[in-house]
Amino acid sequence: MLEAGLYFLQQLINGITIGSTYALIAIGYTMVYGIIGMINFAHGEIYMIGTYVAFMAIAGMAMLGIEFLPIIFLGALLASMLVSSSFGWAVERIAYRPLRGGNRLIPLISAIGMSIFLQNYVRLGQGSRDIAMSSQITGGFSIGPTDGFHATLSYMQIIIFVVMLVSMALLTLFISKSRMGRACRAVAQDLKMANLLGIDTNRVIATTFVIGAALAAVAGTLLGMYYGVVNAYVGFIAGLKAFTAAVLGGIGSIPGAMLGGILLGIAESMTAAYFSTEYKDVVSFGLLVLILLFKPTGILGKPEVEKI
Amino acid sequence: MKNSFAKKVLGLSALLVAGSAPWVHADIKIAIAGPQTGDVAQYGDMQVIGAEMAVEQINAAGGVNGEKLVAVRYDDACEPKRAVAVANKIVNDGVQFVVGHLCSSSTQPASDVYEDEGILSITPASTNPTITERGYTMIFRTIGLDSHQGPTAAKFIADKIKPSRVAVIHDKQQYGEGIATAVKQTLEGKGVNVVLFEGVNKGDKDFSPLVAKLQKQKIDFVYYGGYHPELGQLLRQTAEKKLDIKFMGPEGVGNKDISQIAGKASEGLIVTLPPAFDLRPENKGLVEAFKAKDQDPSGAFVMTSYAAVKVIAQAIGGAKTQDTEVLQEYIRNNSFDTPMGTIAFDEKGDLKGFDFEIYNWHADGSKTVIN
Repeated sequence: MLEAGLYFLQQLINGITIGSTYALIAIGYTMVYGIIGMINFAHGEIYMIGTYVAFMAIAGMAMLGIEFLPIIFLGALLASMLVSSSFGWAVERIAYRPLRGGNRLIPLISAIGMSIFLQNYVRLGQGSRDIAMSSQITGGFSIGPTDGFHATLSYMQIIIFVVMLVSMALLTLFISKSRMGRACRAVAQDLKMANLLGIDTNRVIATTFVIGAALAAVAGTLLGMYYGVVNAYVGFIAGLKAFTAAVLGGIGSIPGAMLGGILLGIAESMTAAYFSTEYKDVVSFGLLVLILLFKPTGILGKPEVEKI
Repeated sequence: MKNSFAKKVLGLSALLVAGSAPWVHADIKIAIAGPQTGDVAQYGDMQVIGAEMAVEQINAAGGVNGEKLVAVRYDDACEPKRAVAVANKIVNDGVQFVVGHLCSSSTQPASDVYEDEGILSITPASTNPTITERGYTMIFRTIGLDSHQGPTAAKFIADKIKPSRVAVIHDKQQYGEGIATAVKQTLEGKGVNVVLFEGVNKGDKDFSPLVAKLQKQKIDFVYYGGYHPELGQLLRQTAEKKLDIKFMGPEGVGNKDISQIAGKASEGLIVTLPPAFDLRPENKGLVEAFKAKDQDPSGAFVMTSYAAVKVIAQAIGGAKTQDTEVLQEYIRNNSFDTPMGTIAFDEKGDLKGFDFEIYNWHADGSKTVIN
């Protein structure tokens, strides 16, 4: 009985960890969708670039002889947020802004092009092999008897969860309290009207891309340190999962992205735990189909009112 | 304006086509088809350096019947879809001989094209048995079969390791699942307790639910059928939970990148690999030649790729023709002198008498034979 409980707890921890990172990436999708009503397909690639930059920063700091873990962690985080944000900004500037006002399909296609471009750009620059890095943060807590089955909660898992919560809280504060956040909400409600009322909508949209990219970089750094491996293709499947999470929670809604991410993570780990690992993607995408069938707006999404 | 631009483009492409025509001359082109990009590009590198070295040395020794060999690289990224596209491109380029592909799931669909078009292909790495079981005449391989590799591994597990609770995990690909199934069946035939048989998704990074499952089921031995990116993560995440589980895998996991990914956790991994041909005294000169070019001859598919080119060259030289229909007969009925020793093929196109060896893998990426 105890063992079954601990096993469940362990799988819950695993699910929440992976779900937290889905949530962080999902935010980028949700924010862009909420404001300009489009899916940024290059977002997964921004996440991948974030991981690469974090690896480089960690390797660079190791060369400089920095060994203090919090500094390594924060340094990697800052470097990757900085570089990824500029990529996010550039994606908006190159693939979205020139096409604004046209048919909605056109920027979608240019974003897919951007995604392919970034993938190959990184592959050519960094090589097509996996780049690996040893674990920086090891150890954790053990729950349950030491001789039998015991659940473990590693420090890295705690960090992932806490960083996700803090990022979400900061973002929510920014959106609800700051001047720029208010402008974001105004643009989300009605882009044309906001423009007429003197809001620099181009700047607002660029900011959205930058924030989304910065959060993807946070996820990239965390997951890079957790798994220790990156290649130029990790962005695709991560992006797909995060997109699923965003739709599940209700695309356009920030708490929805968080909820969707964690639900998806738990659904995956529970499928792997009690059924079979090979079906975990079947279940997560099956969940997406069901949600789209019965509640197309997602769990926390509001039904879209056609703007006049 | 638009019209004149179109004309220019047309004119330019016509020029290009015309310009490329004189390039068709008497060289014998050999396509090297495999993953030069993607997550198993390491194996593609082994294939490329092995095959290109063979081409270079054969040319240095005067070529084949006075003609030079030319190696042309084709990249399938280990994706079945791209493999078919590559195969069609090889057909269009008029290439008659292929060394490849590497991944079984690429070789299988590509070989359909080669069979139809009469292109002779020798795979230096695809071990899935079904590839040569379809009655095709144009496909050969200079490597063993999973139906041998699996039982070799399983016998070793049952006789030497004697684990009490075994999990067999695979990546649901033709190669991985094929070999995992062979291992499972042999193990069960020998009365070993296989508790878990499960697939994972290729490209997955998170195996924490699976690791918890291994822990709960009290598994003490895992056989993994697949490639190193997934097994590397599995090793790493098992080590992080401090579980005492021994791992074993086929030659698809045996390259230095697994030590990169898994670090210390890769120490003690057991791997079945083609024999280390680079350590044989008769290949010393060849090994030196690789080292002089700063290339690593120890990769599992370097010598098998070298041998594949040698077989093609010796067959063309011996049969004095480039007609692949005659050549496939010739290859079936003769033996060939390669760095793998003197090799011969059976009716199906498989090597006669090829055995895998069992190695202990180390954290620094080196390996030692277990007897």
